[in-house]
Amino acid sequence: MTVAFYIMAAIAVLGAVMAIALRNVVHAVFSVLLFFSALAGLFILLLAEFIAVVQVLVYIGSVGILMLFAIMLTTKVTGDPTRKLLSRGWAWGGLVSGALLLAFLVPLITQSKSESNSQLSNFNPSVKDLGLTLMDPYFASVGVIALLLTAGLIAAVVAASSASGE
Amino acid sequence: MSLIAKGILQGMAVTAKNFIQSYYKKERLPTVEYPEEKSTVNQFTRNIPFLVYDGEDEIEGMRCTACKLCEKACPPQCIYIIKDTDENDKPIKRPKVFDIDSSVCMSCQLCVEVCPFESIRMDSEFELSNENRFEGLLINRDELLKSNEYYHEIHPIEAQETDDRIAAKIAEAETKKKAREEKARLAAEAKQAAAAMKAAEEAAAETETSATEQAQQSEAKAEAPEDNPETKNT
Amino acid sequence: MNNFIDYKLIELGQWTVGLFNDYPVVQILVHLLLATLPLTLVFMGAFGFSTWLERKGLARIQNRLGPNRVGIFGLLQPLADGIKMLLKEDIVPDRSDKLFHFLAPVMLMVPAFIAVGFLPLGDGLMALPMDSAILFFFAVGSLNTIAVFMAGWSSRNKYSLLGGMRAVAQMISYEIPLVLSAVAVIMFSGSLNAQEIVASQQIQSWLASGNLVKEFFGQILGWHIFKPWGFAGFIFFFVAALAEANRSPFDLPEADSEIIAGHLTEYSGFKYAIFFMAEYISAFAIAGIATTLFLGGWSGPVIAGLPWFIIKMFSLFAVMIWIRGTLPRLRVDQLMGYAWKFLLPLAILNIFVAGFYYFAEQQFGSLAAFIGGWVIGFGILQTAAKGLSRLNKSPTLDGKRVYQLVE
Ligand code: SF4
Ligand code: SF4
Repeated sequence: MTVAFYIMAAIAVLGAVMAIALRNVVHAVFSVLLFFSALAGLFILLLAEFIAVVQVLVYIGSVGILMLFAIMLTTKVTGDPTRKLLSRGWAWGGLVSGALLLAFLVPLITQSKSESNSQLSNFNPSVKDLGLTLMDPYFASVGVIALLLTAGLIAAVVAASSASGE
Repeated sequence: MSLIAKGILQGMAVTAKNFIQSYYKKERLPTVEYPEEKSTVNQFTRNIPFLVYDGEDEIEGMRCTACKLCEKACPPQCIYIIKDTDENDKPIKRPKVFDIDSSVCMSCQLCVEVCPFESIRMDSEFELSNENRFEGLLINRDELLKSNEYYHEIHPIEAQETDDRIAAKIAEAETKKKAREEKARLAAEAKQAAAAMKAAEEAAAETETSATEQAQQSEAKAEAPEDNPETKNT
Repeated sequence: MNNFIDYKLIELGQWTVGLFNDYPVVQILVHLLLATLPLTLVFMGAFGFSTWLERKGLARIQNRLGPNRVGIFGLLQPLADGIKMLLKEDIVPDRSDKLFHFLAPVMLMVPAFIAVGFLPLGDGLMALPMDSAILFFFAVGSLNTIAVFMAGWSSRNKYSLLGGMRAVAQMISYEIPLVLSAVAVIMFSGSLNAQEIVASQQIQSWLASGNLVKEFFGQILGWHIFKPWGFAGFIFFFVAALAEANRSPFDLPEADSEIIAGHLTEYSGFKYAIFFMAEYISAFAIAGIATTLFLGGWSGPVIAGLPWFIIKMFSLFAVMIWIRGTLPRLRVDQLMGYAWKFLLPLAILNIFVAGFYYFAEQQFGSLAAFIGGWVIGFGILQTAAKGLSRLNKSPTLDGKRVYQLVE
């Protein structure tokens, strides 16, 4: 388990770093996808099957493709090679962001360590449970989101049809 | 039926019919499995020319007189002819070299159209593939020569027409020969009569001779086309 | 029970695993191998067979003979093709993105084989028995798009890129009706578990009755395709599946008469073969999932289990071949219009019909729901389809077509 976690985490970090460091935009997007898939693996390790599936379905299958599609419509895939990727003072920036990250993470980690297993024991990660939870206590928010998305869809259709035909 | 379009179902029915009937209906599966069985070629098929010869001997029966008309007519110029010569280096009416480059020939049949001696004809042979793409595709005289019987086999109607035409020519030549002999006889008689009358009528002699000259000239004209069928087809 | 083949296979597997009881590490490995290796081999064999089937079927549809030289009936033709592909030179375009050019076929093949793992081949026969197998299947299926894009982009060829773009547009569009038409089934069965979905298509009370006739029909009549929403859903699903698998008439990404071979243009040799294999295996997988969702999965009379699943999957594949032999390719705008303007609304409507059917079954019993569903539910779908096709009709096609002859 731990070995798998470290492998996945390493892949995720690698993907994230490459996404920033690579010059070729398409390569960068693919490293983002690599990061996403490593994340999906991590979710599976956490027994969060559904989240993992959604990660793959939505982030890799749709968001990633959307990014690729957008890039395909651009002309310059490779950026200007003469320009440096790192600006001056990157060390300071890295230091500050690292400190912030630690500041957020450390309390969380210590908290989860101290947390008793009692809370975890009645936690059921199955998809059915998730569905029931979404449909019962959180129905209002799900409904609102669904309405919003439908409205967005209809708006898109209207926009598309008025753009093409008179 | 708008969930499944009717047209799609109709199309599917057609293809299904094709599929099923191909197993028991001959007209639904016209494929011929080539190397094992060959499809019969239509008798009007034409592919590449060949040279017809009569009788048994290829060289003796050759109809071609190396007149080179076909060489001139061939649009892609794939025919190459050299006249044969006898021992005394005198050209004779027979090709020594007759090559057709089958990779260039476009099966236009123009050579056949121009040949005055019914010698070159279109073949229906289609298995011409060869391992050597230069010499192998250049077909020489001996390969081109094929018997009249073969011609009858592949193009029966056309061959019959050709034979009839040649026979008609021979017959015509025969009648002309007879007419010529007749004329010659008449001329000889006329000459004799003229000789007899020579003494009697000196003034008329001039017109007589010019008449015989005219007759001789027309004979000479008739001789040229007659010459070949007579010698080759007897 | 009559699905003894599945039980025998499972027993065999358990026995094999049991052999390594003393070596736990080896046992895990053997377990993994048992789950994956037979599946891989069987589906690769099925791929070979299906190429033969496709060529033969298409040939017969076109009044030809098809391959008949290698082996009896040409059955060894796939083998000969494979050897030929292996021996061919692997050409990588000079200015291509070498890494991605190499990765694309792999990226396509791995999801295809993973997807196959989610198929419930028989009672308990499932390589990856996950709780939300159906969802996983769709998630993995969406990875195909990336591989196709990779292939198209990395080749540095205009045709490849066009094919890649077409593929991406098409796959994204058709994934939505595909999943939505599956949602109806998932809703009705109340589970994402493939085995439970199959079980929901068997009439359990009849199976348990002990009456032979009832057992026979209990294995058939419960299939979702016999329900109005299931029938409609199956059609939507199948159409979308054809598009997802890049099969004719939706084979625009590799439309050979327009863009050579689309994203495959720059591939040769073994990479091409891998592409080919991945596509066929995706087609199998999607036929398998259609079988699971609508055609009762492995349930069937007399020999329930693996045999029925294979029969159904191959029948669906045969229908794909049949369609390929019949229908011409769509135009790009028609393709997108069909997905967004016809399939999507109908698939959403179908979800509602399925929901009402579910409640009708609980309120009035299954027979009344069945009859009412076919009359009312299917009627609604039918009218909606008619209305949509009228709405979608392009104005230029109204009335008689006028052809202008060239003088
Ligand atoms: S058929 Fe035409 S091309 Fe061929 S040899 Fe005769 S004239 Fe030349
Ligand atoms: S084939 Fe005919 S046209 Fe050609 S050289 Fe011989 S006789 Fe003359």
